[in-house]
Amino acid sequence: MLKRALAIVVILIIGYWLAQGLSQVPFGQDKMLVGKYYLEHVKEQTGAVNAVTAVVVNYRGFDTLGEVTVLFIASTGVGALLWRKKRKRTAKTEGSVVLTTGSKLLFPFIMLFGMYIFIHGHLTPGGGFPGGATIATAFLLMYMAFTIYEIPHKGFEVTEGFAGMGYVVVGLIGLAIGGYFLFDWIWQTWHLGTSNIGRLFSGGFIPVIYTIIGIKVGTELSGIIDNMLKEEVKE
Amino acid sequence: MTEASRVSKYLYTFIVLFVIWLFLTASLDPQELLIGAIFSAIVALLTYDIFTTRGLANLHPRRVAYFIAYIPYFLWAMILANLDVAYRVLHPKRPINPGIVECRTELKNNVGKLALANSITLTPGTITLDVDGDKYFIHWIDVKDASVEGASENITKPFEKFLKVIFE
Repeated sequence: MLKRALAIVVILIIGYWLAQGLSQVPFGQDKMLVGKYYLEHVKEQTGAVNAVTAVVVNYRGFDTLGEVTVLFIASTGVGALLWRKKRKRTAKTEGSVVLTTGSKLLFPFIMLFGMYIFIHGHLTPGGGFPGGATIATAFLLMYMAFTIYEIPHKGFEVTEGFAGMGYVVVGLIGLAIGGYFLFDWIWQTWHLGTSNIGRLFSGGFIPVIYTIIGIKVGTELSGIIDNMLKEEVKE
Repeated sequence: MTEASRVSKYLYTFIVLFVIWLFLTASLDPQELLIGAIFSAIVALLTYDIFTTRGLANLHPRRVAYFIAYIPYFLWAMILANLDVAYRVLHPKRPINPGIVECRTELKNNVGKLALANSITLTPGTITLDVDGDKYFIHWIDVKDASVEGASENITKPFEKFLKVIFE
């Protein structure tokens, strides 16, 4: 009881303190410094209509590379923590015919929609991470509906590795052509798509990188699901 | 029901996915069409085996015509269903007589059973609880006939005449 009362008092103090700090920031007023530069130059500098993806992939590509690395470490960490020689799905209850048939029918649609999200990253909200997560949802659905379903491990791990490498290779090509890592060579050197901003084949290397990220995130999260759903079996 | 050849299954999956892509993008820009075709081809390659068992036979004109006719029929049943439930909610005496009844279906195909189960759930005061072989266990808000034959006559028959052509 005392503990709980103390915790509430401390949280109230912290909340008051944060509110004091934030009350100085005017709501709804123009406070953009760097943001203005992004909004004014995003089209001719990157070809993307979606300023968020342009910032995430193009202006601040290192952050995204870091995020991809974090996700890869998470996936590897889960794999290492749950590593056992013999592991199997131990679920017993098979879903009803409505659930299994419905999952089978939905699976391709969810995958296609995930791909739709990541290829249109430079035009619509979304990008590689939501697209990849959507694709992983499709595999989660299969895992939940069927007691024996398993992703094809060999293919998934190889694809994941190649996708991660692909991102770095795109960055290294930029280093070779433009002089710095993650230089947008498709846009600034090849001028590919400069005439049709707003259509699909524009946006420099954003669609390329988001395709890579989408594949990587999709396979990675599916791998995490697979690891977590399996239990050790006794000989 | 025999299983279709791999080519037929692949082509059917590809066509369905490509049509979905057209609806998603809502544009006939050649760039979108090209990427859509490539992505549909990839997804179809990965999933054709679980997506369909009958392949292109699903696109038989008779089936498509019945499917298109089924949509307004089903929507009308749904509107009546919701008005009926609204009436029961607003009526001061609350005229309900709930119970779980068993129904039989003549459908053999799993996709057909799925469509029937969903149609039942979305229409007049009935909810599919479980499907086991050709038996449907249905929660009915106003049980008029508790026997298997009677319940089937009331609940599954109206949809079956369409679904039998579409999916069998």
